[in-house]
Amino acid sequence: MRGLHRVKMRVNGRDYELEVPGHERLLDTLRYRLGFTGVKEGCGRGECGTCIVLVNGEPRNSCLTLTARLDGAEVTTIEGIAPPGKLHAIQVAFIETAGVQCGFCTPGFIMVAKALLDRNIDPSEEEIRNWLTSVLCRCGSYHLYIDAVKKASEYLKKGVVFIDERDVREKLHLRVVG
Amino acid sequence: MILIRDKRIKPPKYLVDILRFRDQLSYVRLENGYVKIGALATPWDLSQSILHRDERFAGFRDVWSKFGTMSLRFMATIGGNIATATDFSDYLVLLHVYNASVRLRGVNGERVVPLEKLILERRKPDLKPGEIITEVLFPEPPVGASSAFEKFDRRSILVAGLANSASYIQLEGKRIIDVRISLDTTGLNRIPGRLRELEDYLKGREFSAELIEKAVEEVIPRSVAKYSDWWASGEYRLEMTKVSVKRSLLKACKRLGVV
Repeated sequence: MRGLHRVKMRVNGRDYELEVPGHERLLDTLRYRLGFTGVKEGCGRGECGTCIVLVNGEPRNSCLTLTARLDGAEVTTIEGIAPPGKLHAIQVAFIETAGVQCGFCTPGFIMVAKALLDRNIDPSEEEIRNWLTSVLCRCGSYHLYIDAVKKASEYLKKGVVFIDERDVREKLHLRVVG
Repeated sequence: MILIRDKRIKPPKYLVDILRFRDQLSYVRLENGYVKIGALATPWDLSQSILHRDERFAGFRDVWSKFGTMSLRFMATIGGNIATATDFSDYLVLLHVYNASVRLRGVNGERVVPLEKLILERRKPDLKPGEIITEVLFPEPPVGASSAFEKFDRRSILVAGLANSASYIQLEGKRIIDVRISLDTTGLNRIPGRLRELEDYLKGREFSAELIEKAVEEVIPRSVAKYSDWWASGEYRLEMTKVSVKRSLLKACKRLGVV
C-alpha cells in the first residue's frame, strides 16, 4: 500500500519492525499496535505530558511524534523501566510518597523524572520543579511528586536502582485483590 | 501537526523529515566574530552551550526558563521557532535584539536574510519552495553587553505571553553605548519587531532607573499598538508591555552590575 513507512525500532528492549502510515503518532503505535497502554493520551497536543516516553533517552511527547521518523530509535515506556518482577527506584519512591491520586499522569511524571535523574542523580528542588513542568496533574499532587523525585534520588545515590516488587508489597502491606 | 489537525493550515502534499540532519545542524559555534546556531538545535542543545554560560547571551537563559515545558525543550528547534513566525516565537523576539540573520538553503543556492526582512507577515516567512533555514547567525556581542527576556502572562509556564520583550544593552560606565529592544509585536500585525524609537531615545544617555521609567512611559504609548482578543484587551497589553520592557531593560543592566 502507498504511503506506508517501514520502521525498525527497539521498544523496551525488544526489536520491532513495523509498517506505519506517515501520519501515525508514536502514542498510537505504542498503545494500539504494541499494547503499551502505560502511555496515556491526555490533551493530544503536547501540553499535558501524560504521553511522555523516552526516545533515545530524551523525554518526548509521543502525541507530537510521528512513528515514521523513528527508524532506528530506542523507545522506553513506563513498562520498560524495570525488568519483570522488579520496580524502578522512581516507581517505588512514587508509591512510598503516595504521590498518586487518580494515577493518569503518573507514567508521564515517572518518565520525566527518569530523564532528569539519568542526567543528574542529585538534582536541586528548582531543577526538579523545572523538569516536572512537563506534565500536568489535575489532582494537584505536584508537591508529592517533588518529594518522590527527591526520594528516588536518595535511592539512586545509594546504588539502589531496581527493587523486588514482592519486597515493596510486603513493606507497604500491598496485596493483589482477586 | 496540530495546525494541520485543527485545520488551521492546508495539509501539505508531501512532508519531508529534516530532523534526520539533526547531527549536522544542531550546533552552537563562535566563528569569525559570529555566533552561529544550527537550525535544528533544540533549546536543550542551547542550554548545554556557551549561550547559557556567558553573560553576554543571558537572554537565552531567560527564554529557556519560559519556553514551553521541559519535554518540549527537547523537541522544539530554533529554526522551527523562527519559521513559525508568530508573536509567540520567543527565540525570534530575543534574536531581534542580537541583529540576527538566517541562512537559507535551497536547490537554487544559499542566501542570508536578516530576521527583520524574513518575516513577511504572521506565519509567513520569506521561504521559497524547496528552501529551508539551515543556520541562525549574529555578530558576537562585545564584553560589557548583556541581554534579558521577559514574558508576562497569567501563569509562568506553558503560556504564549501577553506582553513579551527582549533587551540588549551595552554600557560604558553608566553611559548607554548601544541598546536594542524588541517586542512580541509592535503593531497589529502580530509579528516580533524592534522598538527603534525607544532605542534612539536611550542611546548615549546616562543609565538610571528613572530614565528607563520616563523613556518607556513617554515612547511606548505613541509607538506601540496592541490588539485585543478574548485573553486580554489592547489597553491591558499595552500597559503590561511598558512593565515588561522596563523589567527586561533593568534585568539586562543588573547583569552588567549597574543597578
